[in-house]
Amino acid sequence: MRALRLPSGDPLAIIGVTIYVVFFAVALFADLLAKDPLEILFLDDGNLAANLGPSAAYPLGTTNLGRDIYSQLVIGTRSALVVGLTAAIAVVALGTLAGLLSGYFGGLADQILMRLADIALGIPFLPFVIVLAAFLGARTENVVLAIAVLLWPNTARVIRSQVLTLRERGFVEAARVSGASDWRIIRVHVAPNILPLSLLYGSIAIGWAILTEASVSFLGFGPSGSVSWGAMLQDAYASQALSRGSYNWFVPPGVCIVLVVVAGFFISRGYEEVLFPKLKD
Amino acid sequence: MKLHRRAVLLSVTALMTSASLLTAGAAQTAGDPIRKIVLATAAQAADPQEFQAAQLIAQEWRKLGLEVEVRGFPRPQLSDLVWYNRQKWDTTMWRMVGRPERSDPDELVYNLFHSSTAEKGFNFVGYVNKDYDAIAEQQRRETDPEKRKVIVAKAQTMVAQDAPYLFLVHPKNTVGYLASVIKPASVVDQGGIGIRNFWTFVGAEPAGTVKDIIANSTEALNSINPLYISGSPDNWITELVWDRLMRIGPDGLPKPYAAKSINWVDPTTLDVTLREGMKWHDGKPVTAVDVIFSFQSTMGDESPMYKPFSSNIASMEKTGADTIRFKLKEPNASFLISTIAKINLIPKHVWEPVIQGLASKPENAESYQESQPIGSGPFKVARFKLNEEIVLERNADHWQAPKMDRFILRVIPNNEAGLGMLRRGELNFLSDYRGDPKLLTDLSNQQKDIQVASTVDLGLRYVGHNLRRAPFDDQAFRQALSTVVNRNLIAAAAWNGFAVPASSMISPALPFWHQGTPPRANLDEAKAILKKAGYELVGNKLHYPAGKKETLQPE
Amino acid sequence: MRSVAIRFGQMLLVLWAVATLLFFMFRLMPGDPTLAYIDTTFTAEQQEALKRQFGLDRSILEQYLIYFGNILRGEFGTSFRVKRPVFEVIFDVLPNTLALTVVSITIAYLFGILAGAWLAWKRGSVAEAVGIPIVLTLRAAPEFWLGMVLLAIFAFGLGWFPSGGANSAGMTFNSTFDRLTSPDFLHHLVLPAATLALYLQGLPLLLMRSNMLDVLHEDYVMMARMKGLPEWRILLLHAARNALLPVVTAFALGLGASVGGNVVVETVFSWPGLGRVLVDAVASSDYPLAQGAFMFIAFILIVMNFVADLLYSVLDPRVSHG
Repeated sequence: MRALRLPSGDPLAIIGVTIYVVFFAVALFADLLAKDPLEILFLDDGNLAANLGPSAAYPLGTTNLGRDIYSQLVIGTRSALVVGLTAAIAVVALGTLAGLLSGYFGGLADQILMRLADIALGIPFLPFVIVLAAFLGARTENVVLAIAVLLWPNTARVIRSQVLTLRERGFVEAARVSGASDWRIIRVHVAPNILPLSLLYGSIAIGWAILTEASVSFLGFGPSGSVSWGAMLQDAYASQALSRGSYNWFVPPGVCIVLVVVAGFFISRGYEEVLFPKLKD
Repeated sequence: MKLHRRAVLLSVTALMTSASLLTAGAAQTAGDPIRKIVLATAAQAADPQEFQAAQLIAQEWRKLGLEVEVRGFPRPQLSDLVWYNRQKWDTTMWRMVGRPERSDPDELVYNLFHSSTAEKGFNFVGYVNKDYDAIAEQQRRETDPEKRKVIVAKAQTMVAQDAPYLFLVHPKNTVGYLASVIKPASVVDQGGIGIRNFWTFVGAEPAGTVKDIIANSTEALNSINPLYISGSPDNWITELVWDRLMRIGPDGLPKPYAAKSINWVDPTTLDVTLREGMKWHDGKPVTAVDVIFSFQSTMGDESPMYKPFSSNIASMEKTGADTIRFKLKEPNASFLISTIAKINLIPKHVWEPVIQGLASKPENAESYQESQPIGSGPFKVARFKLNEEIVLERNADHWQAPKMDRFILRVIPNNEAGLGMLRRGELNFLSDYRGDPKLLTDLSNQQKDIQVASTVDLGLRYVGHNLRRAPFDDQAFRQALSTVVNRNLIAAAAWNGFAVPASSMISPALPFWHQGTPPRANLDEAKAILKKAGYELVGNKLHYPAGKKETLQPE
Repeated sequence: MRSVAIRFGQMLLVLWAVATLLFFMFRLMPGDPTLAYIDTTFTAEQQEALKRQFGLDRSILEQYLIYFGNILRGEFGTSFRVKRPVFEVIFDVLPNTLALTVVSITIAYLFGILAGAWLAWKRGSVAEAVGIPIVLTLRAAPEFWLGMVLLAIFAFGLGWFPSGGANSAGMTFNSTFDRLTSPDFLHHLVLPAATLALYLQGLPLLLMRSNMLDVLHEDYVMMARMKGLPEWRILLLHAARNALLPVVTAFALGLGASVGGNVVVETVFSWPGLGRVLVDAVASSDYPLAQGAFMFIAFILIVMNFVADLLYSVLDPRVSHG
């Protein structure tokens, strides 16, 4: 479990972890930090509070349909983290399992799983997610499902080759000779050694999932009436925030996406240093 | 321990029973609580205004004690639900777009509400009223406009009373052009359509050296085909390329165009005389035989979209070199608008072989795309790429030859891009703008060269109630839902002020036919209507009148 | 040679599987295509006629066999909406998509390779400490957002570039080649290509850098250093050449993925390309066009995956296929 420790020496990794912590806190206390992001706001004179600039009442101003941008940004943290985490867990679980089975047992299992991986890699990613979201209904679960179905092979392939080398190592050999069952060998000797690798791919998958969800929402196939950063950008784009020069509307959600995704990259790079210490001299 | 728990359980049960007895006591006269109502709408991404309006409406309905969920769908899924699953939805946002042929009220009065279209046609709300059917049929047969006007007014009053629709707004159509390219005096404002119309494009005069009208469409064209009704921008092209016997004038009334004159001999006999000297774009003359062929082509199965428009023709006969006699199956007041001014004139020598070739195939003429379309209209097709741009050239031989050299329609899916291109002169006629109208007017204030015109449309936004499902089957309930909605607020907060409140399916852009005034929002009155009809508020929740059970689940 | 044949067979298997998946996926589509035609004048008979016309009244198995027969003959049917052969619609926009993809990915890889090699060389320096986070950040930015920011600044703000489309109004060209090489087209190409290139450069850069770090420790580089060769010569002639191989493979993979992945950038810049065609077709329930565009994108992707595999085994003799 040594490799699970955070790479404390790497400043980038520390930045990454800090970003995650902050966004988790925001997601957790979103209700306290923000108001109803879909409430239609009116001015005292009864007019719609549309396209207001940043002010004390609305720190990031309002949308063209009179919604508080700041509240949307805060509440949007939740959907980003939910999508990112569930998709990452699904990808890593599927990929690790497939990689383990394929690498350890080889033979037919390996053949079938690797052909399935080929097929998944032969499906164009974004078009598939769009079609699925359009046909099965624009729900977050469907986006997560599509991400899991298509992204597991990357993890699986890496895990597989790692397992292949582990299998030939002395301690696995020794365990096998001493009569340990396959299941026990996988559990005790193989799995702990590939866990860091899984986590590395997991932290990258979080980023991919968030980017994908944002892209799908941006193209207008996201869940209607939900609040997410991708949907905010879609709204801003479709409502012509660009020609209004409403930077207060379309810059913050993009920055948030970048921060969360890059946090995953920073952390994974930290792990890279742990895993491949030969880069370290 | 066990005993103790049981005692707690018992007391809880006792409490619950007494509580339910209490509510039952209060609601002794009331029926079941009304289930959660689902208001279907296009998703926010697909139509932000509609989505916003739905949320404002839901806010108002909740004040009546209803639980309302606004559910957004992508357009195809919304159409699927509303059109093909007529038992499964409660109430939905819907729209009718403005088209020149809707200048005649027949389509709106008949097709939307006649019971014959309730099962599979456009009467998807399921409004069935024998008295209304009689009126709708009567206005169709009445050829005297003044008498017909009275009948059409009666139809509107009846719909307003029965409230199968909750009329919301007629949006304003906002477009802009460059006065440095097109002389403002030559731009024609067509009632209910606005300045983007046939008369403007043909009559536009150059203000400077630029002699191209460069207009835009936000969606790719489907085809350039005179036998296929495929979409609005497609129609802008076909009406410039193919002539029609009559065209709908700026005043909304049909006027002879390729026909020199039109004479009703009796209510089912129409004599048409062709204008002399007209030529197809390939140089061959336009003849009475071509005209008869054109109408015949829409009567068979080769042009399903046009077929309903010519179904009232009993026969056509060439009565002279340039004259044709139409016999109608029955008198029809809208015949000139919906048939004579609707059907494109096509050259027999081009289309006869095409249609014969298609006769044995599963496809019909709608799927046929000429590589060089041939019409007889004021513009000729120079070249086209349906998803990029269409270039038309002036037809110098036409009796009403355009003043501008070319008409170019660019496909610009993006409103932002369209706006920017108008600013830089890459477009000089922003003919299709679905963005925020205020941005366009702001732009015209900055850049004096940009002229903006906002016209109340023939189009309509409304809420359609599913009359097959309780409580929407109750006229009083529907009336209350309508009374509580603040249309002025919706026009301002969802359409940014670029819409007027609606009270009828016929737009005030047609003052001759339009009838009715939009109701003012009144919460107390809405509550009174419900109370009078027996609905009751128990706690904060609206219940059915006494004895009525809730039989449906929220879908 | 045998291993190539096996890989080829596997590619065909993947093509078949994806095509089959596609067929069944499209049967999940809500409602039916007649939805696109709903109008006040729409009658039940018209609806039935439309369904017959598109073969939707037959059994699933029959439809599947017809579908496959058609694919084998390169026949993707006629678009519901546009009423033109699907292939024609796709080939209309294909040059735009290919131009955008090839230009942006080439720029991205050229830049990525050079910058990656340089950063490897500068390992431990300030340049690395600043460069790597910047690269990662660009990689983390959603392409469409990057495009929006560029649009807001350079098109709406400064007015240097057009805000959308592939050509100005009313331009005529003798051939597609003339069009694609015209200044007008290139002017339109700048912002979308820059957006994509900014996004795509991260992968080759990081890959190149880590390969270089591997290679720099190899004996022959050490040897060269000891011989006192100039640093840039070592970098170019010895290290870079060997570090480049995996990047070439990644290029092939990236090219395949980019054709379908461009859809968001095409949307932001109203670029008439393949991705837009797919999205529009899906949004308007145009089965044959959506199906055809998807199959086409998948085909390019699968073939490029295959090419990458081959390149990998050709360039790196240690890999054998078994």
